[in-house]
Amino acid sequence: MKLYCLSGHPTLPCNVLKFKTTTIMLDCGLDTTSVLNFLPLPLVHSPRLSKLPGWVSKDGSANLEKELKECAGRVFVDSQPEFCLPEKELLDLSTIDVILISNYHCMMALPYITEHTGFTGTVYATEPTLTIGRLFMEELVNFMERVPKAQSATCWKNKEMQRMLPGPLKDAIDVWAWKRSYSMQEVNSALSKVQLVGYSQKVELFGAVQVSPLSSGYSLGSSNWIIQSHHEKVSYVSGSSLLTTHPQPMDQSSLKNSDVLILTGLTQMPTANPDGMLGEFCSNLAMTIRAGGNVLVPCYSSGVIYDLLECLYQFIESANLGTTPFYFISPVANSSLEFSQIFAEWLCHNKQSKVYLPEPPFPHAELIQTNKLKHYPSIHGDFSSEFRQPCVVFTGHPSLRFGDVVHFMELWGKSSINTIIFTEPDFSYLDALAPYQPLAMKCVYCPIDTRLNFHQVSKLLKEVQPLHVVCPEQYTQPPLTQSHRSDLMLELQPPPMPYRRCSVLNLPFRRRYERVYILPELANSLVPSEIKPGVSLATVSAVLHSKDNKHTLQSVPKPPPVAPSKKRKRVLEEPPAVLAPKPLLSGAVPLEAFLVTLQKHGITEVKVEETADGHILHLQAEDTLIQLEEDGTHIVCDNNEPLRTTLRDLVLRFLQKL
Amino acid sequence: MDRECALLLPGVCGVLAGSGSSLPDDTSLEKLLDWFTGLSEAGGSLLEACPCLLTFISTVVQNTASDPGVLSFALRLTGLLAATEDSFKTIQEHSVLNKVFNLQHWQEAGLWEDPCLRIGWIQGLRSMLQHPQALRFFVHSDFIDLLLQLQTDTSLFIASAANQMLAHILLFFQPGLSAGSNGVDKKEKDDGMAQSSADYSAVVMSISEYFKESLVPKESRNIRQSLQILKLLALLLAPAGPPLRDKLMQTVGDSLEELVTAGSSELTLPLMDVILSACSSSGTDERVTRLLSSMLNINKPADLIHAAAALLRRGHHDAVHTARAVRILLLPIDIITGQTLLGTISTADEHQFSVMEQLKTKTSCISMICVCLTNTPQITLTPPDVLPCPPVSIVTAVLSLLRICSGVFSSSSTGCSEVCRNVIGSGKVQKCALEALTTLTSSPGAKEKISEVFTVLIQYLENPDSDPTVLHKSYQALLKWTSVCTDFSFITDKLKHDLLEVVKKRVCDMRWEVRDSTVEFLGHLAGVCVSIDSAEEECDASVALLGGSSTTPLLREALQDTESYVRASAIAALAKTLTHRWQQGATLSEEEPEIVRRLLEILSKDTEGFPRRAVVQYFISWYSSQSPPSSSSSLLMQSVRSVLSQGRADLDWEVKVHTLKLAELLLDEAFSGHPGYKKGSDAHQAPPHPYGVVSEQAYTLHTHASKHTEGADSDLAGVIEQGVLSVLLSGLVDCDRPVALKACGLLINLRELLCPLSLGVLDASAATAKVSCELPGLGWGREIIKILTMKKSDQTKEADNAAQRGFNGAEEGGDGMCVSVCEALRSLGLDERMDVLTQSSDHIHNSPFSLLQDILTASATHTKPGEEVIVDCY
Repeated sequence: MKLYCLSGHPTLPCNVLKFKTTTIMLDCGLDTTSVLNFLPLPLVHSPRLSKLPGWVSKDGSANLEKELKECAGRVFVDSQPEFCLPEKELLDLSTIDVILISNYHCMMALPYITEHTGFTGTVYATEPTLTIGRLFMEELVNFMERVPKAQSATCWKNKEMQRMLPGPLKDAIDVWAWKRSYSMQEVNSALSKVQLVGYSQKVELFGAVQVSPLSSGYSLGSSNWIIQSHHEKVSYVSGSSLLTTHPQPMDQSSLKNSDVLILTGLTQMPTANPDGMLGEFCSNLAMTIRAGGNVLVPCYSSGVIYDLLECLYQFIESANLGTTPFYFISPVANSSLEFSQIFAEWLCHNKQSKVYLPEPPFPHAELIQTNKLKHYPSIHGDFSSEFRQPCVVFTGHPSLRFGDVVHFMELWGKSSINTIIFTEPDFSYLDALAPYQPLAMKCVYCPIDTRLNFHQVSKLLKEVQPLHVVCPEQYTQPPLTQSHRSDLMLELQPPPMPYRRCSVLNLPFRRRYERVYILPELANSLVPSEIKPGVSLATVSAVLHSKDNKHTLQSVPKPPPVAPSKKRKRVLEEPPAVLAPKPLLSGAVPLEAFLVTLQKHGITEVKVEETADGHILHLQAEDTLIQLEEDGTHIVCDNNEPLRTTLRDLVLRFLQKL
Repeated sequence: MDRECALLLPGVCGVLAGSGSSLPDDTSLEKLLDWFTGLSEAGGSLLEACPCLLTFISTVVQNTASDPGVLSFALRLTGLLAATEDSFKTIQEHSVLNKVFNLQHWQEAGLWEDPCLRIGWIQGLRSMLQHPQALRFFVHSDFIDLLLQLQTDTSLFIASAANQMLAHILLFFQPGLSAGSNGVDKKEKDDGMAQSSADYSAVVMSISEYFKESLVPKESRNIRQSLQILKLLALLLAPAGPPLRDKLMQTVGDSLEELVTAGSSELTLPLMDVILSACSSSGTDERVTRLLSSMLNINKPADLIHAAAALLRRGHHDAVHTARAVRILLLPIDIITGQTLLGTISTADEHQFSVMEQLKTKTSCISMICVCLTNTPQITLTPPDVLPCPPVSIVTAVLSLLRICSGVFSSSSTGCSEVCRNVIGSGKVQKCALEALTTLTSSPGAKEKISEVFTVLIQYLENPDSDPTVLHKSYQALLKWTSVCTDFSFITDKLKHDLLEVVKKRVCDMRWEVRDSTVEFLGHLAGVCVSIDSAEEECDASVALLGGSSTTPLLREALQDTESYVRASAIAALAKTLTHRWQQGATLSEEEPEIVRRLLEILSKDTEGFPRRAVVQYFISWYSSQSPPSSSSSLLMQSVRSVLSQGRADLDWEVKVHTLKLAELLLDEAFSGHPGYKKGSDAHQAPPHPYGVVSEQAYTLHTHASKHTEGADSDLAGVIEQGVLSVLLSGLVDCDRPVALKACGLLINLRELLCPLSLGVLDASAATAKVSCELPGLGWGREIIKILTMKKSDQTKEADNAAQRGFNGAEEGGDGMCVSVCEALRSLGLDERMDVLTQSSDHIHNSPFSLLQDILTASATHTKPGEEVIVDCY
């Protein structure tokens, strides 16, 4: 069993598991942090961005003025943002049989894999994962396509050039493999390969293994996967949460008794407790509004935003923010808000029961109804006429490189009464803000990551007790910035197996058994005999039939009755009649009794010699040796077949036959 | 005992002896006993006063079918009656005593199993054992063994009572202490002494034997017995006189040594208590000292820490042991913080290792660290030669621990990381450390740490994961440190800015507890007076730390809070913030009229009581702290008038009491120049009601002699015009007793000033007599008119019909009427009212008479089923 690791990002994993005869891709995450190296894509012409100076190396030897721009000491690529794809060279991706998706964040690279690698398999995901994943992809495509960039910068990727570049660009890996966003057509084609599954539904893969998604508690429809054969079980844990937020709670017990547990998607903010961050978010928001400023919340269009809105729903009354407008701007804002309300079966119990009242499960319905929350597809159109300040704006993309957020950064960045509150943990806020420097706006970092933290995961692992744990190498040491926090890492016995991008791990367990079915009529014919209390044995002669990884023992077809034919030739061609197999023997020959028996049969001159393993009987008159050993009996007698047969039969009397 | 009760008592005794199951409630026997105890303490023989009691006792103890509660009562009553020698004799003559305390009797009746009876037995004997005769009886009846058995009774109450009783016997009858009787001649007395001393020796002997035998537990299940004996020893050793103490120590010395060596965790603390008690009484007994040293060398770290803490807590003053205890308590902190508090540790390496091992387990780590932290303030106050490090290092260590707890620390400065991870994020350790830090302000040299303290505390306030209690404690620590800070130059502008920012954030917190603590903090901060730099100028700490203008807007915002507690705290904080300005007589700031408008709105509209109370108090502090003529006066006087009229009509009694206080201030202001006026504070007043509001601040009055030249009449008119009299009169007829009481007191004061009863009607000053006030025809006015009318009609039944007609007319018409203030004050019957109001509202129901009646009634209804009386016992 092998694991190929195609992504080094611990929360955006892409691994391939070879198990029995199947090749399974686990998640298909797209590392979007690469976009931080690019200049923002403004929706409206930004004089500031367009006036940024081009970059020339200090000695003047490298001139990439056209491609690279400098802002506040950092260099950015002036081109359409590109993404860092999962590794494609490690194995032939066309051999992948299935892709299992655990949540909508972890499927953004899907079109790259399914459309350009010769992939012919199936993708399995839950319904909300597919629906919201589609929204995310649509949004991404929309963000990119509505501000097309004519120019595509490639010169900087030149190895010699890249080596001379400053800062993060110089160290960026695999830049040639970076790709622009896919098109809507590719999205549609990729998503058409998705087959929907429900929690605990069992899907057979070629009869070899069974896969089944379990609720992971992280987002709508998010799942962990169990991949099992009759005798082996692999659990894949990705993006799970034990907190009570909107999704169905995590199913932990089904992860028990795994041989291998692949652990990814732990919290990216182990020191930031989501509750504290939520509180921080609310108080900073209230503080800014009270002072007459605007609040900008760069966020994804689904997920934590539901919890933020729910929290604000309760908070705005107590903080006297009743009249402040809340805007949610995204090409998919409307769909996201509405879809969330119809996935009742995927929600936590509390919200599920609301549906029967009937009430909308999320309170943002009420916010919309009372006009406190308004949503728009973009800043153009209706929004511009209804826009009122001070206000709170939720909009994407959290990287601040594309989407409507770019506009608000340009609009509000210069005033210190406004605040930007980062809630998504995927991007470093300092990097995200780099192309907007100098910035007067107040920045608050409240990353809300509800995924498992180290404390929770050690508890979980103690409970489910997998034999082996595989995890990204980042989880096996304390975070770089807090090297003394030994509590922020996985400490297990045996230690977890770490992986990094391009690792190929041989998973440390051997398959020992295979299940074989036996047909009823064949089973009926068996004659078990008890060899020791509780253990019975029977011999079976059968034909082993293997198909679709299922093995069945079938009766041996009876030889067609030999026709009294004269055609001798044919007879010769027929397989030799199957002889009844010789019985299997067991037991030991007791020496004394055996000697008595020999004597009865007239063999009197016997010399007994003791050896390490048993005895050698020398029948002197017959010049014959009988070696009685623990695991075998030999009769050595030259050219006296009748004697040998007699002796053999005498030995057999003392043995049990099957 | 009054006659009425004496008449009822035989009946009650009969009821109790008959059947106890029909008691009105289960406390009535206790109440009855309390009453008897009170009577016997007041002197006089109960037995003589109520002979029926003896009959009752002898009847009840014969009847084993009686309720165990009643039997227990009878036992205790017997003890109470037999507490004096004379009564004892009488009772013994009736041969009741033997019967009552006869164990066999109770065992045969199967009643001894009932814990109720056993406790009655102990308590009865305990009350009786006040004289040698009783001791005699006790010894001769062989009760001592039984009592020792009861010491490990299954019921904790009984076990504890037995212990108390044993201690009482040993201490009370110690030779040399007077326990003799009066009025007997010398020879007899000597005989008595000899007798009682023999009895006493017998008791001491038995108890000593018992100690010897049972102090060291033979099996682990006997540990409870050892525990009880240790408790008893601790009770005995400290107050015991030398002979007894020496005897005890002689008896148990070996056993104690054995226990110390055995080192049972459960016994550590009681053992320590015993040894420390022995220390405190015997001083430098070598053996005790040795025991103490062994206790501080036991090898279970958790026990050791508790022992050391006990030593410090008891204020033991012996340098060697204190130094040892200090080292023990500082070691865990040393390990965890990496601060070298103990210098280089060489002697106790093994000990350090075992402490380290304990600290690696989370639960024991947290509990050990908490014990150590709690004791740090005490440690810093020990003499410098005892301390292994300067006190300021301990402050540094606590700060460092706080940093570790919040997860923000650099790896270089810390100790063992395996231990550190146990306290990261632990709220319990955080709270303990913050409490310790608060108390550490008083340790020598702490002040130089102020900047570091501020940094850590602000960090705590910043931390999004701090829970509300931790934040609250951080604020308290910050306040305490601010109040001792003499030089604000230590606090950098950056720190001040950070503090302001975090406070701004916290007043917007989601959790109301946090908003409340923050607002409260702002108020308290304004109340702390500090001097800035070297300048003589004084200002409040909120100005010094947060800048003058930043807090008021935050507090104004908090007036709108959804949580009533926060609104109330905000109002109180505003008052504190503005007090300084008021005292200086500064001109009205722009925002003040707006604040006042909002406050009056709260007073009239807020649905919760707390903010409304706070509003009235705001005006009380404004009124009492304003200095001579200021521009704010007109706004204040205007608002006071509205506060009085609204506060008077409030539904909350505390608001009304506060309103009366405000009225009192106005009266004080108006009349303090007049001879004969008693200020509210020293006027004759009822003792404070248990639930009454006690004004926190003692306000100071600024009196202006010049103002009072015109005479009482104009002052009175002014006061009436302000609405003060309405407040007082409406308070008088209020249904809440504290309100009525307060109003009545004030009205009496006013009457004494204006028209004392000692003067005749005509003698009253003509001017004041003319002042009259308007009573409304509804509500309180109507009530007052009714009272006046009744009085009037009493007085003038035969005489002034015309006046009566006038009053009646007013009443019938439902209109208001105008009355002379003086006349009204005289006719309201204020003194009688005062008497009634002074008594607590349950005085009738609590009287012994009513108790006896209750018992009788309950039994009557019990015999006549169907008529159930629901007794209200709260």
